[in-house]
Amino acid sequence: MAETFPVKPKLRPTSGKSTPTAESKYWKSFKIPKDIETTPSKSLNYPITSLSFSPVAPHDFAATHSASFTVFSGKTLEPKFTVKDFSDAAASASFRCDGRLLAAGDLTGTVHVFDAKSRNHLRRLKGHSAAARVVCYPRAADKFHLFSGGDDSVVKYWDVAAEKCVLNLQGHKDYVRCGDASPVSDDMFVSGSYDHKVRVWDVRVSSAVSVAELNHEKPVESVIYLPSGGLIATAGGNFVKIWDVIGGGKLLYSMESHNKTVTALCMGKVGRVSGDEAEQNRILSVSLDGYMKVFDYAKFKITYTMRFPQPLFSVGFSPDSLTRVIGTSKGNLYIGRRKGKVESEDLGDPVGLGAVEDEPQRRVLRPSYFRYFHRGQNVKPSEGDYLIKRPKKVKLAEYDKLLKKFRHKEALVAVLSGKNPENVVAVMEELISRKKLLKCVSNLDTDELGLLLGFLQKYSTMPRYAGLLTRLVNKVVELRAEDIRSSDQLRGHIRNLKRDVEEEIRIQQSLLEIQGIISPMLRIAARR
Amino acid sequence: MITGGKSFVASPPAFSNDAKRLLVCTGNTVSVFSTSTGLQISELEGHGAQVTSVIVVPASSPASKLMCYCWTASLDGKIKYWDFAAPELMTTIDIGSPIHSMVIPSLLSQSTESNGKLPDLFAYIYTEDVKQKEEKKNCLCGQIQKCNLTKSRIVGGVTFAKTRRPGSITSSPSGKYIGTYEKRKLRIWEIPEKDSEHVGYKKIRLHHTKSFTALAFHPTERVVAAGDVTGRILIWRGVGHKTCLNDGKLINGGINKDAEDKPGVRDDDDADSCTTWHWHSSQVNVLFFSSDGAYLYSGGREGVLVVWQLDTGKKKFLPRMGSPLLYFVNSPDPSLSSISRADNQIQLLRMPSMEILRSISGIKPPSSHMEIYEGFGSGVVFNHTSGLLAVPTENYRVQFYNLFDDREISEVQIYERNHQPGDEITVKVNLVALSPDGSTMSTVETRLPEEGIGSLVSLKFWACGAQNKHFSLSTVIYEPHGEGGISSIAFRPTSHMAVSSSYSGDFKVWVRRHDISMDDQTVENGGWRCHAVGSYKKKPMTAAAFSGDGSVLAVAAEKVITLWDPDRNTLLAVIGDSLEPITTLSFVGRSEYLVSASRGSDPHLTIWSMSKLSVACSVDKSTFAVLALIKPSKHMESTEDSLHSAEGVIMLFNVENPVPLSTWFVSKAQGGGLSFVRSSPKLEDEVTERKASDEVLAYINGAHEYVLMSPYGEQASNFSFSRQRNFSSLEEKERFGYASIYGELPEFSLKIDQTPFPSMSSEKTWKTIFSGPSHSLPPLPKLCSDFLESLLERRSALVEMRGRGAEHVPLVKMESWYRCACESVLMIQQLLVEGPFPFTFDGKHYSGI
Repeated sequence: MAETFPVKPKLRPTSGKSTPTAESKYWKSFKIPKDIETTPSKSLNYPITSLSFSPVAPHDFAATHSASFTVFSGKTLEPKFTVKDFSDAAASASFRCDGRLLAAGDLTGTVHVFDAKSRNHLRRLKGHSAAARVVCYPRAADKFHLFSGGDDSVVKYWDVAAEKCVLNLQGHKDYVRCGDASPVSDDMFVSGSYDHKVRVWDVRVSSAVSVAELNHEKPVESVIYLPSGGLIATAGGNFVKIWDVIGGGKLLYSMESHNKTVTALCMGKVGRVSGDEAEQNRILSVSLDGYMKVFDYAKFKITYTMRFPQPLFSVGFSPDSLTRVIGTSKGNLYIGRRKGKVESEDLGDPVGLGAVEDEPQRRVLRPSYFRYFHRGQNVKPSEGDYLIKRPKKVKLAEYDKLLKKFRHKEALVAVLSGKNPENVVAVMEELISRKKLLKCVSNLDTDELGLLLGFLQKYSTMPRYAGLLTRLVNKVVELRAEDIRSSDQLRGHIRNLKRDVEEEIRIQQSLLEIQGIISPMLRIAARR
Repeated sequence: MITGGKSFVASPPAFSNDAKRLLVCTGNTVSVFSTSTGLQISELEGHGAQVTSVIVVPASSPASKLMCYCWTASLDGKIKYWDFAAPELMTTIDIGSPIHSMVIPSLLSQSTESNGKLPDLFAYIYTEDVKQKEEKKNCLCGQIQKCNLTKSRIVGGVTFAKTRRPGSITSSPSGKYIGTYEKRKLRIWEIPEKDSEHVGYKKIRLHHTKSFTALAFHPTERVVAAGDVTGRILIWRGVGHKTCLNDGKLINGGINKDAEDKPGVRDDDDADSCTTWHWHSSQVNVLFFSSDGAYLYSGGREGVLVVWQLDTGKKKFLPRMGSPLLYFVNSPDPSLSSISRADNQIQLLRMPSMEILRSISGIKPPSSHMEIYEGFGSGVVFNHTSGLLAVPTENYRVQFYNLFDDREISEVQIYERNHQPGDEITVKVNLVALSPDGSTMSTVETRLPEEGIGSLVSLKFWACGAQNKHFSLSTVIYEPHGEGGISSIAFRPTSHMAVSSSYSGDFKVWVRRHDISMDDQTVENGGWRCHAVGSYKKKPMTAAAFSGDGSVLAVAAEKVITLWDPDRNTLLAVIGDSLEPITTLSFVGRSEYLVSASRGSDPHLTIWSMSKLSVACSVDKSTFAVLALIKPSKHMESTEDSLHSAEGVIMLFNVENPVPLSTWFVSKAQGGGLSFVRSSPKLEDEVTERKASDEVLAYINGAHEYVLMSPYGEQASNFSFSRQRNFSSLEEKERFGYASIYGELPEFSLKIDQTPFPSMSSEKTWKTIFSGPSHSLPPLPKLCSDFLESLLERRSALVEMRGRGAEHVPLVKMESWYRCACESVLMIQQLLVEGPFPFTFDGKHYSGI
């Protein structure tokens, strides 16, 4: 006995892009949280010049805009407070490694240090003769120093507690606009300048000369250390370059996929929620062309691209890889949050409480339990088991069953009262191959004919079905002219149908006109 | 020379006495198949024409169940007696005129009182009087005669009936009646108990208003069932009652002939009553009573086997067989029967549940509607390298057939639709193309429009899996050339490229692309996409071919041949200007010669030299139906010349010479195919140094019978190859003594084996005997013996006895046997309570348990 084949609609071509990769799914999963979507406060009206996350949970983040900066809660993503103690536009906010202090520069050249909790203005570090665009705390453990860079092309290393400049590092010949501290060493940091150069500094070297110099060949907008501390990514112009610092400042790769100046870089991570499957690092770059790109620097490949409607200025990615924030030139913040466990504040139960209780003893199942009758049904096959698959059951829809019984008209009506036009067309095609479609049409009663005409009106001008349905419309009108005339409702259907067909004819004519315009051009182009 | 592709279903098959073999008439031979594996075991060769009936001599006693003798009758006018186990011929009886059907009722009736000597064996044969047929067109040339098989002569003077056309004779299972049908008449003869040369026969006639197509006798009662062309089944009860009574003792002249007395019986037919069942919508081909007479099996063109409960008329179905049913034959084993389908397939059924156990399939016959639609080629495609044949079948499949083994390899469902054999064909797989390496298949299916709406042509590409050699769908292209039909598909020999040419005036070049996924694994998801489109003056493209090295694509645009560069899609040259549209194009092997053929009123075969772009030679013939030719290294090509009488000629040409080298005459050439096939498919590596003798010419005719022959005929004496018929032997050896009861002793080693035994469930026959509802079980007397036999079945020694000594084995065996027997006694008791049938049971034998 041969199997039954249910009626299937024609296959549709899938789009060139195959199924989304795991990575693009991951990046798409950063969604705007529903509950704060409507909050107007996220539009800050001024360009967001920098974004930085606190290194400790719950990973608050600070955004600088105009003459102030705003700290957002990492939990609720709501703005916590705004500090406006600046006399000019604020530039670069940076959290200390324990997240307690926050430093920011302003365009007068002063570096301000705040308490991240109480908002107290603790220190003012004055020394830059022009705007201090870069302020950065060391990232490893050093709590007493920070460095800053300014438009006076000097990089300064500060003792915060004493409000004293420890080192004046000179070497840049233009504005210093970006910098980053090494993730592994407290003494190493890097700064990028508009003189196309990136310099690596080591404060242990007292000569105040940079230990390495890299030529980016474009004004450097952003520079970051990659997590190993041996690689540096620099952005400037419309490309991002990756350098091997330890290997003598060798250029590893130049990513040129942005169309406009890349404004900011940050590190992102890809991995499972639990983080068990080796998290992989990515570079997130944003640009004035409104694109955010995710770059896999292990394979030197762009793995994800996302477009925003505005030029992008800054980007931040939380260390727990749950939140992604992008700031734009118009002051909008695009906050994306992934679903996942927010790290709980307290780390589990107090350990001292003693032995954890054993699992409850498995009780012997007796036929008095309902579970007895389900025993063994959920057993997962182990590695070496030979699996015998249950033959797949063919799912038959209502119309399939009717077609099997050769009740053709009922099948047509059943599928027409369904929603899916593809199935309707498939059933019609099956009826055609049984040479029964026109017989069915002539047997329909008035209500069913109305159903059919409604369907035809809706879909007969759709290009995918038009080849079959327009001819069918002709036949239907021809066959059932009497019935249509006698019923008001059917006349209404026919009126609508006529309108749609006329509309379609108009479209076709205008398309033909366009084709007429284009074809001579194509011919000329082909001749060359 | 090898022939093959014979029809398995030209006449009903027969089971051997142990139901382990099935004897099938295949052309001039009888093939013996194993019912457990479905493979051919042996072949009885000897008849000079088609074998029309095969009758196995039934076993008279259980001891003689191993007897393997059969009678065969053939159109060459001979009756032969065979021992098909050996297989060897025992006797031949020459009748002289073609035998269309034969029955031997005395074999079935088992005349027991054979005091000393056996009675003569009589066969009833339906012969065709060839002489009379030649003299007059409209004469009674078919006649039923009686033949004394023991004395091997026709019994003179006994001619039962003369008919226009020889038909078939049916005998009742008890051997008491034989019958035949002609048009609207049934004729039944009662065979007397003691058959001899001169006895009188009682004759019964039954009439109906429609032509009969099938006839069956009830095994025990006087019930006759007949089917007609409209699908009705008529059942007469009490047939011949009156005749017997009249003949027997007293004539009750007073018994009235009231119409009420005989409901449904026409006029003065000799029957008590007649009932009509009408379920089939078209003619009934199969009618068969179950061995106990409680059920009637019927089948017809719809491909549905219907089981009627005779008393109530209730029905059970085995639907969607996919092809008209022709014969239903049951075996001595009540749980096995076979059904023959018109698509050259015999299926073995497990009986009460009617599930298909195994299929024995030959090459699929051409579609019956083939001729109706012009332009639908026969579509039979040869694969040059592997000796394969791809045949599109009626139920939207493509069958792959091995020419050398004469065996089906696989089937692929091309279009997923349920085929109703009775309906007219509206969807058809009309083109199949195989790439030279056999890894890709391309098919075209066409749906015909209903009054101008809904026609569809779809082109499909199939990829062959590396391991399982099964084709899976890779790409579907709906309406590749708009509304136009596809005239041909050709694969490029060197790369993944194909071309399809269309009657609507363009051709498309398709290439396969490889998808490389992100994770560096090459996905075998390479779909096919259009690489280029070409057309020449909007002329319909009728044929396409790639040259042997794949550098040139030749497309026939009606009357001219256009040559293209397939990679850059540029027109290289236009050659030729024939008078008739070109129908076939082909390159001669790897040489530079191109052959084009055109048919019609002035058919031509033209050979073009690619290097000179000129006509190398031109052949003129009266009519042409050109087929194929691939012939590497030797400049050869051949054509087939089919006359209107469907008689054809195969000619072998040298490329430089318009005079054919050799010629063969063939019949039924319409819709046939021709190709060179490499004779040793295994030696695929030695492509470079191939000798010409490696190539054989394969020809398939319109009825899908094929011939493989050497293209040099007798001249090349070194050419010799025999078919490697690897008959599979009957896989079971007979075992004796202890082993025959309990199976082989397991091999025991004294050290404890750590690996567990495979826990196969040893199938107990008594579980399967009783499967199915009780009303559809075979009768209890039949069941009982089988059941008891199964208690003594050979257990395949899988009782787990890890780490025990061998001396315990028999004890354990006895225990399990005992338990088994106890269970069965309980079961029999239940059956005794419920069973509606008379029941005899030898209780003594098991009373000790």
